[in-house]
Amino acid sequence: MLRAGLLGDYLIGAVWVAAVTVAAYAWPGTLGLHSAALLFLLPVLLVSARHGAGPGLFAATAAALAYNFFLLPPLFTFRVHGLDNVVSFVVLFAVAVVTSRLATALKARERQAQREAQVSAEVAELAAHLAGQDDLSAALANGLAFIEARHGSARIIGRDALPRDDPAFGPLDLSAAAWAIHNGDMAGCGTEIFPSADWAFLPLGRAGSGDLDVVAVARRPDGTRLPLDSLRPQVSLLAQTRDRLILGQERRERQILEERDALRRTLLASLAHDFRSPLTVLQGELEALARESPQAERALAHAQRLSRMMDDLVGIARIEGGAVKPALEPVDLVDVVSAALEASGAAATGLRITRAVPVDLPLVSADPVLLRHVVVNLIDNAARHAISMIAISASSSGGPVTLRVDDDGSGIPAGEEEAVFERFVRFAGSDRSGGSGLGLAIVKGFCDAMGIGVRAGRRDGGGASFALTIPAFVAQAP
Amino acid sequence: MSRVLVVDDELAIRRLVSAVLERDGHEAVVAGSVREALVEIGRAAVDAAIVDLGLPDRDGLELIPLIRAAMAIPILVLSARDATAEKIAALDLGADDYVTKPFDGDELLARLRSALRRTGAPAGGDTVLRHGAIAMDLGRHMVLVEDREVTLTPREFAVLEALVRAGGRVLTHVALLEQVWGRAHVADVEYLRVVIRALRLKVEADPSQPALIRNEPGIGYRLNG
Repeated sequence: MLRAGLLGDYLIGAVWVAAVTVAAYAWPGTLGLHSAALLFLLPVLLVSARHGAGPGLFAATAAALAYNFFLLPPLFTFRVHGLDNVVSFVVLFAVAVVTSRLATALKARERQAQREAQVSAEVAELAAHLAGQDDLSAALANGLAFIEARHGSARIIGRDALPRDDPAFGPLDLSAAAWAIHNGDMAGCGTEIFPSADWAFLPLGRAGSGDLDVVAVARRPDGTRLPLDSLRPQVSLLAQTRDRLILGQERRERQILEERDALRRTLLASLAHDFRSPLTVLQGELEALARESPQAERALAHAQRLSRMMDDLVGIARIEGGAVKPALEPVDLVDVVSAALEASGAAATGLRITRAVPVDLPLVSADPVLLRHVVVNLIDNAARHAISMIAISASSSGGPVTLRVDDDGSGIPAGEEEAVFERFVRFAGSDRSGGSGLGLAIVKGFCDAMGIGVRAGRRDGGGASFALTIPAFVAQAP
Repeated sequence: MSRVLVVDDELAIRRLVSAVLERDGHEAVVAGSVREALVEIGRAAVDAAIVDLGLPDRDGLELIPLIRAAMAIPILVLSARDATAEKIAALDLGADDYVTKPFDGDELLARLRSALRRTGAPAGGDTVLRHGAIAMDLGRHMVLVEDREVTLTPREFAVLEALVRAGGRVLTHVALLEQVWGRAHVADVEYLRVVIRALRLKVEADPSQPALIRNEPGIGYRLNG
């Protein structure tokens, strides 16, 4: 086909030259020799511009020969006389070369412009496809379908989901895909990297921001090249659309979270305030009555219990709402234990309470209010289970400080050391009257928020032992 | 005994506090808002104020400096347990003490008594300060605890002096740091912790179970008694 086309080009040159020769030869009187020579430029120009350098030079040779043979005296010989004839030869060749060059460049530019127009038309079409989308997966599926309709089989490969088990991808494809994912650069068939792979991999996004997802497009079954120049802008448009949708999605999610937080805060505030006021009145009035009536005294005990449960509920709501924002500062455990013992009801139980908190322990890093709440809950928990004693002790062997609250009660059933920190957990046989079932869950929640480790275990000699591992305070360099 | 202004937006709480106050022979004057409180203050002299911070017309915190400006009386704040920031703000604005809701009637009365006692005492100029078992001679830089002389470093002396001058009132961490170390060090709670430790070793009978210098977690220090 190509050869036939080329031959045709040469033939056209010959025909044109023949035509001009005939025209010049037929009317020799009408045209001067020089005009005739100029006339021979026409086929050369025409053929060079239309059909390129080869046919152009052929036409120029033919024209020079024809001019020499048919028009230039001595007629019907190829003998060359004088400078004139040499000049006409040279001019004809030069015209052929220059014209064909110019024409070729022009044509190439035109083809390029056409190609670019096509590429951007396709991108515009894809953009129109994606414009109305606000669902991420639908948009991606849509964009992929668009690419598939034009370029054959395509799919999206996640940055951490190399399709190792997919028979469609050979080892070379996987290498190319990995390259594209890590380097954010095209790889695979049609590119310079792993060109013999069966797929081309185009990164979804711009290089330089870590691993990227890639779009894989299959090699064409008919062997034609994949038009990477048009694929690349389509994929990058897809990437932009995806980024925009992800951003939008994140913004919406954040907004929903913020609204939910605001609702939680309002709820917490009303729990803390609206419930506390009537409880305060209830407790206060009962307290006055309790001086004379044992009935009122019992009622008071229950009101106090209700009030502690409210505290626990507010505490757990704060934990669940993510509203626990610890303000860490250097804290002396001597202070925390003193304050906790004062706040807990344990002193009134008649249990023997021992404390061994050395004064030379390192300061710890904690939120003192939350930590007091934690220790109060541990002491109250111990008080509910202890038979005769509660032991509070602290120690450190460099690094974090361990604070223990032990009791001599029935202890924690083996294997349940984690479960005690769950909400509303009460073990069969253990008497947990008086607790809300939330105390230890709050211990865990607050400790997690402060970066304090908490562990439940058995005390040597029977009973339960709770240990807090509290980070030591490290002074900031000034 | 004393006229006490009770400011709370809830009638039931006002009644309860009034009943508690009357138990100790005080006279209660009640107000349900900042506006009513200011009217009551203008009408007749009161000896102390008990203020709830959740008021309908304005933030109760705004009331504290308003009362302070009108008269030098002790102000007690009624506050929710977990409202640490609110308590600190109230103390820094000039409140003398706070009582956590739900409160114990006897504790409220005890706090009120000690606050009233302090305002009765001369404010300064004395060279010998006393609080419970502690006596400080400022001129001679000498401290006696239960008649036993203790030697304090200048910092320890300054912290103890501030606490004794406060006379059982809570001094916030920030207030103590500012008074003793200066404004640039209000965030250096660590300094305070270290000096308090050293101080306890010298003045407490059992420094691991301090009975004199008490910490209110997250808020500050006060002297017992």
